[in-house]
Amino acid sequence: MAARTEAVPAWQRGRVASWLVTTDHKRIGILYVGTSLLFFVLAGLMAVAMRLQLAQADADVLGPDRYNELVTIHGTAMVFLAVVPIMAGFGNFLVPLMLGARDVAFPRLNALSYWLFALGGVVLMLSFFADGGAAKAGWTSYPPLSTDSTDAAGTGQDLWILSIHILTASSLAGAINFIVTIHNLRTRGMTWTRMPLFVWSIYIFAWLLMAVLPTLSAGLTLLLLDRGVSIGPWEVETSFFSSGDGGAPVLYQHAFWFFGHPEVYIMVLPAFGIVSEVLPVFARKPIFGYKAVAFSTVAIGFFSMLVWAHHMFTVGMPNSLNAFFMIASMVIAVPTGVKIFNWLATLWRGNISFDSPMLFVLGFLSIFTIGGLSGIYLAAFPIDWQVHDTYFVVAHFHYVIMGGALFAAFGGLYYWWPKMFGRMLGETLGKWHFWLMFIGFNVTFFPQHLLGLDGMPRRIYTYSNEGWEGYNLTSTIGSWVMGIGILLFFVNVVRTTRSGKRVGNDPWQADTLEWYTTSPPPPHNFDEVPYVTSARPLYDLRRRLREQRSARGAY
Amino acid sequence: MAAVRALLVLAGLLLVAAVAAPLGLADNGGFTPVDPASPNAEGIRDSYLFVSIFILLVFVLVEALLLAFIVRFRRRKRDRFEDGAQIHGATKLELMWTVGPVIILVLIASFVFIELPGIANIPSAEARGRLEVKVTGRQFYWQFEYPNGVVAIDRMRAPAGVPVRLEVVSTDEDVIHSWWIPALGGKIDAIPGTVNETWFEVEEPGVYEGQCAELCGVQHAAMTTAVEVMPEDEFDAWLEERRAEQSEGTSELGQELWEGVCAKCHGLAGEGGIGRRLAGSPLLADPQALENIVRNGRVTRAGRMPPVGAGWTSEQMEALTGYLRENPPSGS
Repeated sequence: MAARTEAVPAWQRGRVASWLVTTDHKRIGILYVGTSLLFFVLAGLMAVAMRLQLAQADADVLGPDRYNELVTIHGTAMVFLAVVPIMAGFGNFLVPLMLGARDVAFPRLNALSYWLFALGGVVLMLSFFADGGAAKAGWTSYPPLSTDSTDAAGTGQDLWILSIHILTASSLAGAINFIVTIHNLRTRGMTWTRMPLFVWSIYIFAWLLMAVLPTLSAGLTLLLLDRGVSIGPWEVETSFFSSGDGGAPVLYQHAFWFFGHPEVYIMVLPAFGIVSEVLPVFARKPIFGYKAVAFSTVAIGFFSMLVWAHHMFTVGMPNSLNAFFMIASMVIAVPTGVKIFNWLATLWRGNISFDSPMLFVLGFLSIFTIGGLSGIYLAAFPIDWQVHDTYFVVAHFHYVIMGGALFAAFGGLYYWWPKMFGRMLGETLGKWHFWLMFIGFNVTFFPQHLLGLDGMPRRIYTYSNEGWEGYNLTSTIGSWVMGIGILLFFVNVVRTTRSGKRVGNDPWQADTLEWYTTSPPPPHNFDEVPYVTSARPLYDLRRRLREQRSARGAY
Repeated sequence: MAAVRALLVLAGLLLVAAVAAPLGLADNGGFTPVDPASPNAEGIRDSYLFVSIFILLVFVLVEALLLAFIVRFRRRKRDRFEDGAQIHGATKLELMWTVGPVIILVLIASFVFIELPGIANIPSAEARGRLEVKVTGRQFYWQFEYPNGVVAIDRMRAPAGVPVRLEVVSTDEDVIHSWWIPALGGKIDAIPGTVNETWFEVEEPGVYEGQCAELCGVQHAAMTTAVEVMPEDEFDAWLEERRAEQSEGTSELGQELWEGVCAKCHGLAGEGGIGRRLAGSPLLADPQALENIVRNGRVTRAGRMPPVGAGWTSEQMEALTGYLRENPPSGS
């Protein structure tokens, strides 16, 4: 092949400019991770403000309108701007490296998905300054509340829809890229069953995005039309979801949750992937039951599309339908259980070190188990009639998404940081970060189960029941502890950037191909890639080296 | 590694303390739903307790194994990169932990199906004197209508020992709400264009509180409600008396409307809040204009008010205007 000789224009070589125009999957991955951490902090501060408002009965820290804005944007931002994109960031950085590829299949499309993500995030955050403030109808934005002429007046809700549309375009482009990359760019010898489990999880993550995002887009477009749009001389105001003109409000909920439930797995499957990479390395063992773990990822992805109406048990569906969605939801518990037990078995007879990545992954295991188990209550629809839309549900999904996905994501950051930047994050601060976050998390969210059982609905900006004050105050204090923990992470990042310990290719003696190249890897990733003969190419390589050495020693 | 153990113990103690401390502060806050007062709530509580057996079992199993493995297989003096046992899996074990959960889930689902009729089936109309109440969720109040036309706001009266069937709706102008009195069973959404139903039957007279469970706008948090269960004869007497008073315009309905519908935004004394100050407003002296804004709401640059009174009967409207004529809000 003729060598490309076109030189990079001078203006693109600057320290900032080179990041703005980059199509390198590693840089895009880092941009994704950095930007989602920024949105994570913003959405986290919103949560701290809400916890302050709820610390005492009849408090007046935030007004009801501002509180409803924060409820809406905190949820939307955490899902669309923090957790999903941080996983996309890991995927971007790692998938080509793990596959032994030079880049993703469509590098420019990849840059486009990042910039669309950034744009969508900016639109959502700036909507606070819109006429009438940001959207106030919750991250689910059910009509008629989200089309209501009093509560949803102003442009905040329209900007919310616009932002989700932009983010959807970003995710779809990213998903196509992942799927094509994983199908076509695996290095020699890397069959499907030798592919790292993280890549498996990104593969299903991408298919789920492709499968369910169009339904969300359709639902939101109908919502936008219901709110009324004017294009030049045309004024359109439909009534898909307004009962007065024959529409059905519940139809929107079906469209939303057909996307919304798989979205949970879109956030959590890559976390599962991170756990499946980190656990074996720090237990010095292969993953227990590779095929079971990989197949359970596929099974969870498939079943996640058959359970959406368990979010809607109180809308008055026939009980035969409720029963279907209960059973389907319970079916998902089986492959999830398989994963948990396989991870536990991976620890069995290991040689376990407790570095920060491992602490976060073990924290994930203990917390996610609680989130998974509380989900069984919610799947049983008569019990859901009691706890639906209460703090029990708030506790449940924070145990799954924050305790699950975000703990794994932090584990992943500590684990891959040396690969991304060539320096190891500080271990002492890392341990402090973990313990403060672990304790703070449980103190914040465990009492919320009890609040929900005691009758406290979610999304209320205040309450008068003094019986709820104790738990609420506890929860608020927990949120500060967690906040300090997360702050320490950023202190750690700054200190590491200045004076972190430099590392070689493979500081953890790990098993997958990304550790074969330098830290950070060169733009083209690999000078050469070893032929892959198992799911642990680097383990095989080290063993062969050992054997050669001892064979030589015998002479 | 002693440090790891000490930290684990510390974390455990902190967790226990964090959970135990507020237990003493909460009235009935515990690990079970609110004490049930109606058979459907009992069925839900029983299902919850049954599921809890397995949840606790699996929870203890998983967390204990996790802790045991962390302690037992920690590195100690071994080399950091020394291999652990190179075990790639065990099909029999993996089958066990696939089938085990299946059995548990079958048990849970079966129990739920056994309990379901007692929770969901509304006692038939032939059941002794079943009462029908229409419950309408509105921004931001609950309206209760009895078969004889009596209307009440935010506080439902019901007879003890009699099944009560609730028809739960919202109106076309309004949004989705969710009816929920924890002690009297699960919640059911009030959705524009849909008629949902639920029920309760309470033996013990008393007041059972609840509130709207579906985000419905700015004053969602103020949508509290209560069911006052009275001995049957007392209830019958109340319903008769209220019927007569309502026709004469002397019932408490006017005050209930003011407090339940208007005051949540405009303040109990009309001093203003989310809505504008009403005390001293010329509107109050003009029943025609008042009715117009209450029925149709208003969306202007200055403020937005939902059509809170859309669909009210003229009797109901007069109850409000009459009350305000007699008791103009003082403003403080």
